[in-house]
Amino acid sequence: MKKAIKHRKSVSYTKWAYIFIAPFFISYTVFTLVPQFLTIYNSFFENYRNGLQQIGPNFVGLQNYVQLLTPDKTGTVDFLKYFGNAMAMWIVGAVPQFIIALLLAVLFTSARLNLKGQGIAKTIIYMPNLIMASAFSMLIFALFSNVGPINKLLVASGVIDQAFDFLSFKIPVRTIIAFMNFIMWFGNTTIVLMAGIMGIDQSLFESANMDGANAIHVFFDITLPLLMPILTYAMITSLIGGIQMFDVPQVITNGKGTPNMTSQTVIMMLNNYLSTSKNYGMAGALSVMLFIITGILSFLVFRTLSKQYKK
Amino acid sequence: MKKFLCALLALIMVLSLAACGSGSNEPASTAEPASTAEPASTEESSEGKVFHIYAWNEEFKGFFEKYYTVPEGIEVVWTIVPNEGTQYQDALDLALLNQESASDDDKVDMFLAEADYILKYTNSEYTQDIKALGVTNFSNTYKYTVEAASDANGVVKGVSFQCCPAGMIYRRSIALDVLGTDDPAEVQAAVADWAKYNEVAEKVHAKGYLMTASYAEYYRVFSNNTSSPWVDASGNVQIDPAIQAWMDQAEKFVNNGYTLTSGVWDAETTEQAAKDGKAFCFFGPAWYYNFCMGPAFGEDAVKAGTDSVGDWGLCEGPQAFFWGGTWLLAATGSDNPTMLADVMDTFINDEEVCTNLIKNEAQFTNNQAVNNKFAADPEFGNPYLGGQNDTAIFAEGAKNIKFQNQTIYDQGCNEGLQNAFAEYLKGAVSKDEAMSNFYKALKEKYPAITVPEA
Repeated sequence: MKKAIKHRKSVSYTKWAYIFIAPFFISYTVFTLVPQFLTIYNSFFENYRNGLQQIGPNFVGLQNYVQLLTPDKTGTVDFLKYFGNAMAMWIVGAVPQFIIALLLAVLFTSARLNLKGQGIAKTIIYMPNLIMASAFSMLIFALFSNVGPINKLLVASGVIDQAFDFLSFKIPVRTIIAFMNFIMWFGNTTIVLMAGIMGIDQSLFESANMDGANAIHVFFDITLPLLMPILTYAMITSLIGGIQMFDVPQVITNGKGTPNMTSQTVIMMLNNYLSTSKNYGMAGALSVMLFIITGILSFLVFRTLSKQYKK
Repeated sequence: MKKFLCALLALIMVLSLAACGSGSNEPASTAEPASTAEPASTEESSEGKVFHIYAWNEEFKGFFEKYYTVPEGIEVVWTIVPNEGTQYQDALDLALLNQESASDDDKVDMFLAEADYILKYTNSEYTQDIKALGVTNFSNTYKYTVEAASDANGVVKGVSFQCCPAGMIYRRSIALDVLGTDDPAEVQAAVADWAKYNEVAEKVHAKGYLMTASYAEYYRVFSNNTSSPWVDASGNVQIDPAIQAWMDQAEKFVNNGYTLTSGVWDAETTEQAAKDGKAFCFFGPAWYYNFCMGPAFGEDAVKAGTDSVGDWGLCEGPQAFFWGGTWLLAATGSDNPTMLADVMDTFINDEEVCTNLIKNEAQFTNNQAVNNKFAADPEFGNPYLGGQNDTAIFAEGAKNIKFQNQTIYDQGCNEGLQNAFAEYLKGAVSKDEAMSNFYKALKEKYPAITVPEA
C-alpha cells in the first residue's frame, strides 16, 4: 500500500504534453523546415528543364542571386519592381481594410450599442473570403472586361462613348486588385480584432464610462493600446499576405501582370520560373530573397507597433 | 508504448508523404481509372483496359466519340488542359516524365500536339515509332504532316487527322458593299498581295467597317512565312523580317482604326463575326471557322438569330499559309499499342470517317483521296460559306505547305510577342518597353535561350 502511493507520486504527466505537441513539430519539420533548407540549397544550383531535357543541377554559387538583382538597361531590378507593385497594391487595400475592420469590431463588441442582427452581419462580411479568390477574380474580370456589364452600362447611360479598357491601365487595374483584396479580407480582420477586443477586461470600459470618458477616449486610450498585440499580429499576417499576393492579379491579368508589368508580383514571377522550365535555381533564389525581406519587414512592424504602446 | 508511438508517428508521416507524392503526380482525369487489374490468367488480350488521351480542347474528343468505335472492354479517359500560356505542355511534360512509374491505367497512351511544339515531343524518347506499331499506309496523307511528326532521323511518331492550309474568310455583304463583288476569285484579285490588301483596308475603313477584328488576326500569315526560326542554333532569339513586317503593319492598322486591339481569341474579336459584326475578314484554316467562330456559326447564335451563316466566302488571301493542325502522337510506354495504331490508321485511312469529317464537321482531312473527291464535286459546298466549296480551295493550298523553321520555343514566342505588342498598341508601353517585357517573359519561361540585352 505504502509502496503503491509512493509509486503514484512519481508519475510524471509531462511526457504526455510532449507527445501531444509532437505531431506539430514533426509536421513542421517535414513540411516547412526541411523544404526551407532545400530551397536555400537549391538556390545555389543551375537546375531547370529545357523542353523535356533536364539541365543540371550544377553548382553555380551566387549566380542566380546576381541574375535576380542585376538591373536591366533602364536600371530597373525586376524583382524589386514586382515587390514594389505588390506593396503598392497591398497598402491601397490594407488601409481601408484595417480602418473599417476596427470600426466594425468596436461597433459589434460595444455593450452600449448592443447591435441587433450581428450574427447575420458577421456572416455576410466574412462571405467574400469563402469564395475562391480565382472565382472572385473571374467574376470581376468579366464585370470589367471591354464587353462586360460595367462598360455596357456606362456606354448605355452616356457616361462614355466607347468601352473603356479598364484592364489596360495601371491605376484601374491596381485599384481593382486592391479593392478585391480589401473585400475579401476585411471580414476576416474584423473577426480577429473582435476576438481581441472581447479579450479586454470589461470592467475597464465600465470604469471609463463612469469616469465620463467619451467613445473616442475609450477607443484611443483603452481599446487600441490593449488591442495592440492582436492588431500587430493581424497587420503582420496581412503584410505577409500582401508580399505573397498572387491569385487575384494572376487571374485578373491572365498571368501577364499588365499593363507594363505594373501588376506583376514576386510570386507571379516565381510561378513563371516554375511552371514551364521548372527552374528550381532561380525560383529558390527568389524565395530566399523574399524570405529575408519578409522577415525584416515583419520585425520592423512588430518593433514600431509594440514600442509605441509600451508605456 | 514508446515503440508503438514511434511506429504510429512514422506511419502517419509516411502516409502523408505518400498522399502528397501521388497527389501531385496524378493528372486530374475526367474519369475514374479501373480499380484493379485483371488477373493475367483470364484469356483476354494482354493490353490495358484504359486508353488515356491528353488533349487541350474538346475538338478531337468530339470526332473521336462520334466516329471511332472503341474496342469492347476498353475505357477511354481524357485529360484536357487548356493550351494558353503553355499550360498544356507543362501538364503533359509532367505526365510523360512520370510515365515509367505510372500504373498501367494512368499511363498516357496517346497525346495531341500542335505545330508550335510538336518538335519537342517527336525529337524525344517519350514518343514511339508508329510504323513499328503497324501504321504503315501514308499514301494518302500530305507530306508535311508526316514530316512534322517525324524526328530528326525520319522516324514517324504520329499522324495528323487534319491538314491545315488556311485562307482569308471574308464577309460577303461587306465585300459587295466595298468591292462591288462577293465572288471569291474577284475578292482574291483585290487582296492578292499586302499592298492591295492595305488598299482594300482603307476602303473598308472609309465605309465604316473594320478590316479585321484583331491586331493579331493575320499574325500567322506572317509568322508562317518567315525565313528563319525564332531561336537560332546557338540559342539566340531573333526577330525575322516577316515578324517585323507584321509588327509594322499591326501598328499601322491600329493607328488608322482598321482593326481592334483585342486578341484573336478575345470575345470582342469573335463578336465581330456575328450578324451585326463589322469585321471584313478573318484568317484561318477549316478548323478556325468551324470551331472558333462561335458568334457567327455556333448553335446558340443560330438559335438566337444572331448568326451570320452563309454571309462568308473563302479565298487564299495575300499570302499562302497554314495554321496549327492537331497531331496524334504515340506515347512511349503505352499499354494499348493495338488500339493506338488503330486510332491513327482510322483517322488517316478510313474513307468513311474522313468523308464524315468533311461532310458533317467541315474539316479538311489528312486524306488526299477523300479531299479531292469533295473538291471535285460541284454539288458539295459549305453552308457557312454560302455553299462555296472550301475543300477545293484548301486542296490547292495544301500543295504548298512546308513545315520549316520550327523550334520547341515557338508557342511561348508567338503568344509572348502578341501579348507584349498588344500593350504597345493599346498605348500602355513604348515599343522598347514592349520588346523588353517580351524578352524578359521569354527568359523566365525558357532559361536556356539568350535574349537581346533588355
